Amino acid sequence: MIITSINRAEAFRYLGIKGAPDNATLQLANECEKILLSEMTPKFCWTYADISENSDNAVKLSGYTLVLGGNDISTHLNGCLGVVLLAATLGNSVDMLLRKKQAQDMAKAVILDAMASAAIEQVCDEAEKEIAEKMENKHFTWRFSPGYGDFPIEVQNDFLKALNAQKVIGLCASPSGILTPTKSVTAVIGVHEKSVENKKLSCESCNMRERCNYRKTGGTCQ
Amino acid sequence: MKKEKFYKLLSENEFVFLDGAMGTMLQAKGLETGGVPELLNLTKPEWLTEIHSAYVSAGSQLVYANTFGANRYKLAETGKSVAEIIPAAIANAKSAVGDKALVALDIGPIGQLLEPTGTLSFEEAYDIFREQVEAGKEADVVVFETMTDLYELKAAVLAAKENSDLPIICTMTFEQNMRTFTGCAISSMAITLEGLGVDAIGVNCSLGPRELEPVVAELSKWTTLPIVVKANAGLPDPVTNTYDITPEEFAESYVNLVKYGVKLVGGCCGTNPDFIRAVVNKLNGMKYTKPEVKLEAAVCTPAKTVEINQPRIIGERINPTGKKLFKEALKRGDIDYILNQAIQQIEAGADILDVNVGLPDIDEKEMMVKVVKAIQSVTDLPLQLDSTRPDVLEAALRIYNGKPIVNSVNGEEGSLKAILPLVKKYGAAVVGLTLDEGGIPKTADGRFAIAEKILDRAQKIGIPKRDVFIDCLTLTASAEQKAVMETINALHRVKTDLGLKTVLGVSNISFGLPNRELVNCNFLQMALTNGLDLPIINPNAALMTGAVRAYKLLTNIDENATEFIAAYAESSMTTSMSSTSTTPVQQKSGVTDLPTAIANGLKSEGAKITEELLKTHDTMDIVDNMLIPALDKAGAEFEQGKIFLPQLIMAANVAQAAFEVIKSHMSAGGETVSKGKVVLATVKGDIHDIGKNIVKVLLENYGFDVIDLGKDVPPETVVEAAVSHSVKLVGLSALMTTTLGAMEDTIKLLHENNVPCKIVVGGAVLTPEYAEKIGADYYAKDAKETVDIAKKIYS
Repeated sequence: MIITSINRAEAFRYLGIKGAPDNATLQLANECEKILLSEMTPKFCWTYADISENSDNAVKLSGYTLVLGGNDISTHLNGCLGVVLLAATLGNSVDMLLRKKQAQDMAKAVILDAMASAAIEQVCDEAEKEIAEKMENKHFTWRFSPGYGDFPIEVQNDFLKALNAQKVIGLCASPSGILTPTKSVTAVIGVHEKSVENKKLSCESCNMRERCNYRKTGGTCQ
Repeated sequence: MKKEKFYKLLSENEFVFLDGAMGTMLQAKGLETGGVPELLNLTKPEWLTEIHSAYVSAGSQLVYANTFGANRYKLAETGKSVAEIIPAAIANAKSAVGDKALVALDIGPIGQLLEPTGTLSFEEAYDIFREQVEAGKEADVVVFETMTDLYELKAAVLAAKENSDLPIICTMTFEQNMRTFTGCAISSMAITLEGLGVDAIGVNCSLGPRELEPVVAELSKWTTLPIVVKANAGLPDPVTNTYDITPEEFAESYVNLVKYGVKLVGGCCGTNPDFIRAVVNKLNGMKYTKPEVKLEAAVCTPAKTVEINQPRIIGERINPTGKKLFKEALKRGDIDYILNQAIQQIEAGADILDVNVGLPDIDEKEMMVKVVKAIQSVTDLPLQLDSTRPDVLEAALRIYNGKPIVNSVNGEEGSLKAILPLVKKYGAAVVGLTLDEGGIPKTADGRFAIAEKILDRAQKIGIPKRDVFIDCLTLTASAEQKAVMETINALHRVKTDLGLKTVLGVSNISFGLPNRELVNCNFLQMALTNGLDLPIINPNAALMTGAVRAYKLLTNIDENATEFIAAYAESSMTTSMSSTSTTPVQQKSGVTDLPTAIANGLKSEGAKITEELLKTHDTMDIVDNMLIPALDKAGAEFEQGKIFLPQLIMAANVAQAAFEVIKSHMSAGGETVSKGKVVLATVKGDIHDIGKNIVKVLLENYGFDVIDLGKDVPPETVVEAAVSHSVKLVGLSALMTTTLGAMEDTIKLLHENNVPCKIVVGGAVLTPEYAEKIGADYYAKDAKETVDIAKKIYS
C-alpha cells in the first residue's frame, strides 16, 4: 500500500483552520507533507470472525475470546453475520518524527501531528478497499472504533491480541489503553450479506458531545 | 555447566534442529484466538508433551518450552504467576524430550512498547525479564525471540546474563524492508548483541524462508556468531488464517540459506513436525559453512550503524565546559535546550555526538541517563558517552540503545581497571587517552607506548581490537608549539603500526591564538592526512565540517563527490562559508520592527531586530512594550478566529527567538526576565503531550519559566516539583478518559500536601464541570487561555 499524498483538507480541519490557510501555513504544510510521506511506514492487518451472539450490550465472536462490549457496538452490528477486526498504524518512525519536531519547531509539529492523524484514516480507507476485494459480494458497515459511544477503550489490549497485532504490524497498547505507536487505529466493521443502510454515528451517542468544537459552532464532524 | 552442554550440541552437529510453531499447534488442539497459551502448561500438560514429543520424533534437538508470553504483564489477568507457569512448562518439555533434546526457556516481547513511544521503562522491562529468567533456571538455554525492539532485547539480555548462566539465543523479526517494526537494522542488531556477548543470533517469524534470504545474507556480513533461522510457513491469508507453502518447499528454501552460515534451524508460525522432518531430511549430508567475516569498527543506534571506515565527525557541543547558557539549561533541567544542540549538530553534518553533562551542582548520573534517553528519543545518531566518573559511564552504558563509544579510559592503572570491564560488559567501543600516572608524555614514542598498553589490556579482557580508538591528545600550540608534531606523529604510528582507529579533539590546538578557526582547520587537515578517523569538532563551524567533507572528496572516499555536492550544491560556497555559521544567507524581507516580525512569523528577522533593539532599549522595555503586546495581538486574533493554531505558534516561535537573544544578553549581565515559574505535566499513563508542549511554548514566550516534567508523570513527581520550585501554578493535561483518574489523583496529592499553588487543567476529554469536580482551580480550553490564567495569577 502506497500513500502518495496526505488529505490536507482533513488535516487543516483538525487544526481548526476555516477557509483557505494563509501562505506561511501552506508553506509549512508542503514541507511537512514531504517529511511525513518519507518517514511513515504504514501497515494494517485484519481478520474476519463470525458473530456467535449479539445481545443488548455485548457481541461475541466464534473462536475468539474477544468480547465487544456496549450498546452502541451491539446496535452497530445489528443484523451482521460477522465482523472484520481492523488495526492500522503509521509506525514508530512517526512518533520519533513528532518528538523531534516538538523539540525543534512546534509550528511544524502541530501540522505534522494533524497530517499524521489524517494519514492514518487514509490507511484505514486503503485497508477497507482490500477487505472489499477479498470478501466479494459482502456488504460492510462503517468503521466503529473503541472509545466511540460506550464501546470501551479498555478493549484495546484484547482487540490487538485477537489480531496478533504486535507480531503482525508492531502495534501495542499501553496499560491505559493508548495505542502505541500513537498514530494508529483499531476498528470493527460489520459484515452483511445484503446491502445495508450505512447509518452515521449521531451526536447523541458520541461521548465527545459535551465538549465538541464542531457542535459549538453548529456543525458536525462528518 | 549449561554453556558446555549447548556448545557440545553445536560442535557435534553440522546443524542443530530446533522445533516448529507452538501457537498454531495449540490452536489446532482447540485454543481460542486471544486465549492465554501458557495456562495450558497447568490445565492441559498432555497437549504440550504431545507437541514436544512430536517435534523430537521429527528430529528437533532443542525444543522451546511453552513460555513465550509467560511474563507478569501478560499473565496479570489469569491469576497465575510467572513462578507457577514457567517451571511447569519446562517440566512438561523435559518430561517429553528426556535426554533426546535440550529445552529452552522461550521468552517473547513483553506485550507493550518501551519508552519513549510506550510507557514501559527500560528498568521495568529488565525486571520483568529477570523474573522470567529466575523462574526458568531449569532450562538448558534461554531464547529471546520475535523481538522487534533492540532496546527491549538489551534489557532481556542483561537480565539473563546477570541472573543466570544460561547460554543466550536472540532472534528478531525483520520485514521485507530489512528492518524490524521499530526500525532496527540488521547490522545494529548484530553488533549490539555480539557486543553484549550472546551465544547465537538470528531471525524468526514474519516471513517464509524464501523471503528471509536477503535478511540472512545481510546478517551473515555482520556477525561471527552461529546464525539461527526460524521462518514462517510462508505468508498467511487474512480470511482463512492459513499459510501458503508445503513442508517440501519450506525445506528446499533452507538449502539456500546454508551458505550464509546458518547453524540452528527450525520453524515459526504455521509450521508443524512435518516441516521440521522435511528440513532434517533435506539438510542431511550437507556441511555447515562458517562464512569468512572480518568485522570492522562500527558503532550504532537501532536505526543507524556508523562504520568507522572513513573520517566521521564527532560533535562536541553537548558539553557545559565554558558555555554559560548550557550550564544554566542543565541547572534548570531544560532538556529541550540540549535536544536542540543535538539536532543542530546533526543537521550541520555530525556522524556521532559526544555527550557530557558534568557540572558540580547537579546529579551527573541522573542527568546523564535523562539526557541520553532524551537524545535517543529524537535522533538516531550514535553517541559517545563522556564522563570522568565510572558510575556515570556505567549508568549511561546500561540504558544506551545500541553500541556507543565510551570517552574515556587512559593508561593509569585505576582507569584501566575501572573502565575496561564496563566497556567489555556492555559491548561498547572505547577512546583510550595516551596519558598515565606520569601525565602526557612529551614525545610521540611515549604516547605510542601508552596506546600499546591500553590495547593490550583491552584485549586481555576480551575487548576486540577494532573497538579501541586512541586519542593522542592535542596540546595548545600557543603554549607548547613543539608538541604539535608529536601529536601528529603519534597518531600516524598508532594508525599504521597498531592498526587502530584514531580520535582527536581538534579545537584545543588554537587556544590563546588569534584567528582560531584558521589554525583549527589546518591542524584538522594535517591530522586527517596522517590517519585521523574521528575528529571531535564543532560541526556548526562550517569551515571545520567543510574541511572533513573536502578531505573525503580529495581522497576519493566520497566517490563522485556525492556527499560534497549534496551538502553544498544549494548554497553558494563563497557566501555561506562564513566562519561561524552554516545558516544560509537570509533573504531581505525589509521588516524592521518586532511586532511585524512576530505577526508574520519571521524568526530570524525577529532575532536580528532584537539584537539591534538591545543597543538602544532596556530589556524589560522590549519584553513588556514590544514582545508581549505583539503576542497579545496574535492571541486575540486567534480567539476571534482570524488566525489559526499554526500561525499562533509561528508568532510564538519569533518571540522565542527574540527571548533567546535577550536571555543571552541578560545572562551576561546576571539579570533575569522571568515572569514566574509554572510546572507542566502530562499525567501518569498518558503519552499525548503535544497539547502540553504547545502550552509550554506560549508560556515561555510570555516570559514564564516552565518546568516541564514531560509525559506519563507520577503524581509524586508533580508535587515534588511544585514544592521545590515554589510555583504558584501547576498545569496538568490528559487526553484519554482512562487517564482522567490519574489527573484527579495528582490534584488530590497536591491538596493533601497543602502545596500553595493553583491548578489549571486541559485536554480534549475535559469539561469545565469535570475540572471543577476533580478539584482543579481552572479549566483552560486552549493554550491561549492557559497563558491568560498564568498572567492573572502572577499579576
